[in-house]
Amino acid sequence: MAMKRKTVEYGLTASALIIVIAWIALTTGAIPLWAAEAVFVVAFPALVLTLGLWWRAGGGEEDFPFIGY
Amino acid sequence: MIEYLVCAAAFGLLLLGIHRKVIARIQMRPGPPVWQEILHALKFSFKSTWVPRTASATLFVGIVLVAIAIWSAALFVVLAGESILILIGIYMLHKIVEHGFGLSSGSPYGKFGGVRSVISAASEIPLFVTITAIYFFTGSLLLRDIVAYQAVHGPLLLIVPPAAIAMYLVILSKLPFGPFSIVESKEIVSGYKTEHFGVWRAALAVTDGLKTFVLLYAFVLIFLGALPFWLILALMTAVLVSLSFVCAITPVLSPYDSVTVQSIITGLMLAYIGYLWWVVP
Repeated sequence: MAMKRKTVEYGLTASALIIVIAWIALTTGAIPLWAAEAVFVVAFPALVLTLGLWWRAGGGEEDFPFIGY
Repeated sequence: MIEYLVCAAAFGLLLLGIHRKVIARIQMRPGPPVWQEILHALKFSFKSTWVPRTASATLFVGIVLVAIAIWSAALFVVLAGESILILIGIYMLHKIVEHGFGLSSGSPYGKFGGVRSVISAASEIPLFVTITAIYFFTGSLLLRDIVAYQAVHGPLLLIVPPAAIAMYLVILSKLPFGPFSIVESKEIVSGYKTEHFGVWRAALAVTDGLKTFVLLYAFVLIFLGALPFWLILALMTAVLVSLSFVCAITPVLSPYDSVTVQSIITGLMLAYIGYLWWVVP
C-alpha cells in the first residue's frame, strides 16, 4: 500500500490527540461518560490501524519492495 | 477507558492463546506458547501491508475499523451494565462485518467465508432466544438488573441452565477450531480473513481479542452474577478451557450440519421457553 510515513503520522497524531482530549475532558467532568466512550469507539480503531501502518510506512524514497510470488 | 480496551484486547488474545494450547495438549501436541496470539498481533503489525488489486479499497480498510469499533462499543456496554439486547445487536452487526470482510477483497475464499457467515447467522442468532428465558425471571434485560437479581436469588446458571447452554453454544460458534467455525475453516483457507494480512490482520486480532473477552465476560455476568474481578477472570478462563475441550475433540462440521445442529438446539430452546411461559407465574 503506497502510503507515506508523513501521511500516516498525521492520522496517528490526530487519533491519539482525540483520545487524550476526550480522556482529559472526561476526568475534568467536561463531557459525560457516554460521550467519552463514543469518542473512544471511533478513535481507538483509527489509532490501532495508524500505529501499525506507521511502524511499516516508508518515507517514499526506498527501493521497490519484493511483493510476492 | 482506553486502558480497558487495551487490557481487554490483550487478555482476550491471551485467552485465545490458552485455547490453542489446551487444544494442542489434548491432541498430544506441545502447542504454541499461551502468549502466541499476542505475538501474532504484534508480528502482523510489523508486516508489509497493501490492498489487493481485486479489492474494494474503501470497504477493505473501512470494515477493519468497523470491526474494532463495534467490539469496543460492546465492551463499554457490558462494563456499564446496559441491555443485553444491545450486545445481541452488536453480535448481529459482527455477522454483517464478517460478510463485508469476505466480499471486500474479491477473493473467492473470502466470499465463501462471507456467505457462510450469513448462513451461520440464520442458526446462531436465534440462539439468543435464551434471553427470553432470562427475562421471565429477572423482568429486565439490563445487565445490572440481571446481576442484582442473582445477588438475591442465586446464579441464573442454576435457575435456567438450558439458557446457559444455548449461550455457551453461541460463544462456541465464535471460537476458532470449534465444530461451528465454518466461516474460517481450512478448506476455504482462512475464510473471510484470507486476504486481510499485515496491519489489517493485526487489527483483526485486536477485534478477536475484544470479542472473546466481551462474550466470556458477559456469559459470566449473565449466568453467575457479580463476583470479585479476579474471580470473574478465573471463571472466564475456566469456561474457555471447557470450550477448548469441546473444540479439541470435535471436527469442524459441514455448513449444512452446523446449521442443522444449531437449529435443533434453537427448537429445543423454544420448547423450553414455551414450558417456562406455561409454568412461571
